[in-house]
Amino acid sequence: MRMQKISRHDIELLTVMTIKELRARYKYTIFGFFWLVANPLIQMLVIGFIFTFILKEPVKYYYFHLFIGLLIWNFFSISLNKTTPSIVWERAMIKKAKFSRIILPLSIILSNLFHFILAFLILMIPVSFLGTFSLIRIFPLLLGFILLISFTIGLCLLTTALNVRYRDINFFTQALLVIWFYATPIIYSFSLIPKRLLWLWRLNPMTSILQLFHYSLLDAPPPGPAMLTSNITVIIIVTGLGLYIFNKESKNFDDWV
Amino acid sequence: MNKKNNVAICLKNITKQYIVHHEKPTLMEKLVKRHEEQFVALHNINLTINKGEKIGIIGPNGSGKTTLLKLIAGICTPTSGTIETHGKIVSLIDLDAGFHPDLTGEQNVYLSGILLGMTKKEVEDRYNKIVTFAHIEQFMDVPLYTYSKGMKLRLGFSVAIHTNPDILIMDEDMTVGDKDFQIQTYKIMKHYLNSKKTLIVATHWIGYLQKNCQKIVMIKNGEIHRVGGREVLSMYEPHPFLN
Repeated sequence: MRMQKISRHDIELLTVMTIKELRARYKYTIFGFFWLVANPLIQMLVIGFIFTFILKEPVKYYYFHLFIGLLIWNFFSISLNKTTPSIVWERAMIKKAKFSRIILPLSIILSNLFHFILAFLILMIPVSFLGTFSLIRIFPLLLGFILLISFTIGLCLLTTALNVRYRDINFFTQALLVIWFYATPIIYSFSLIPKRLLWLWRLNPMTSILQLFHYSLLDAPPPGPAMLTSNITVIIIVTGLGLYIFNKESKNFDDWV
Repeated sequence: MNKKNNVAICLKNITKQYIVHHEKPTLMEKLVKRHEEQFVALHNINLTINKGEKIGIIGPNGSGKTTLLKLIAGICTPTSGTIETHGKIVSLIDLDAGFHPDLTGEQNVYLSGILLGMTKKEVEDRYNKIVTFAHIEQFMDVPLYTYSKGMKLRLGFSVAIHTNPDILIMDEDMTVGDKDFQIQTYKIMKHYLNSKKTLIVATHWIGYLQKNCQKIVMIKNGEIHRVGGREVLSMYEPHPFLN
């Protein structure tokens, strides 16, 4: 199947749509960007306070570990939650004009990415004082970013496209995210996972992504080759499937909304 | 100019089928209910529209007029058959759709203009014209939720008409705004009607078609019933109030 070419006009539309997302969310409130850091910070403090009692083995730099995980998780889960029903919500736009439908979910993901990167840059300030980050770690960090963005786009396109035809997909992803949060080493560290259950985490691409970030920033152990290979395989399959299904379904979005 | 270059829109064996769903479509329903209810909105449509032609489409409600216009505009795709279009198409349907209530009028002009196919540069160049035409200069920096329905429709119409399309599609609503705006709209439409551009109008307003369109397409039950000049209009039962 032929993929549609991305034109300059698509880029312009994507830009205005992303800016629209950003503006509409904060409506110019002064504290708009404050919440961007405050939210994961509050989550971190609450979870951190409780789990230092529960966790048997202490995780090194636990609050940092938690904050990094929460930032990544928030980017991923907010993107998934907001894109999945996006075509149905923006039905007026779909019915009004011909444009690359992929711009709708992509603009939501891009606006979230903008927040994520901003909060990440703020995080880098205290991290640089830990002395765990060195320039050579930029490469695994970059790989982590690429895998995260690719997986998020792929999965979001898949659920967004399917939700047009099957409206219960949205409920499904919401429930899935709750379980997924605990199936990802955010509040615990990878070393706590029992060996015989390791295959479960191999199916979850978020594992490698978090490990790569923790490795780059906090000098935690890097993901093993088996974990990395299986996770990347899942990411490639999901991204390919997402692009394929979205491209195929988007021609008929108008019939279903 | 050879014959091929003169064609604006060419529809070949177009069929459009919808799957009927009585409630929100769900995966559960798909798994439980095996068969799907089909509805044929358009059946085997063949139609060629030349550049510069002014076409009127008539037919009872539910005959497939809007589906035909959506197919031409590229908003939906046919189940089978091919559509060829040459030139920029803009449809005047849902004029205030695509606006965001939290953005200002100015931001919405950019958003909507680019959505309708203009480049950012083109919106910049035509911005003053768009605002002056809509006659809401002093409200451009306030959020759109403060606008009245009429203001939104005027702005939507103004943005759409300033995209400068080669093919303009209108579905029913041509009566936007107050008397002054109507006169303005009439002027711009008149300019449009006298130009080399293609116009496709679906309406029940026979008087409008009588005056402005040379070619009439009559649709009935998803099929082209008749194509011809204005004489086709006399076969159509006129609207009791619009004449």
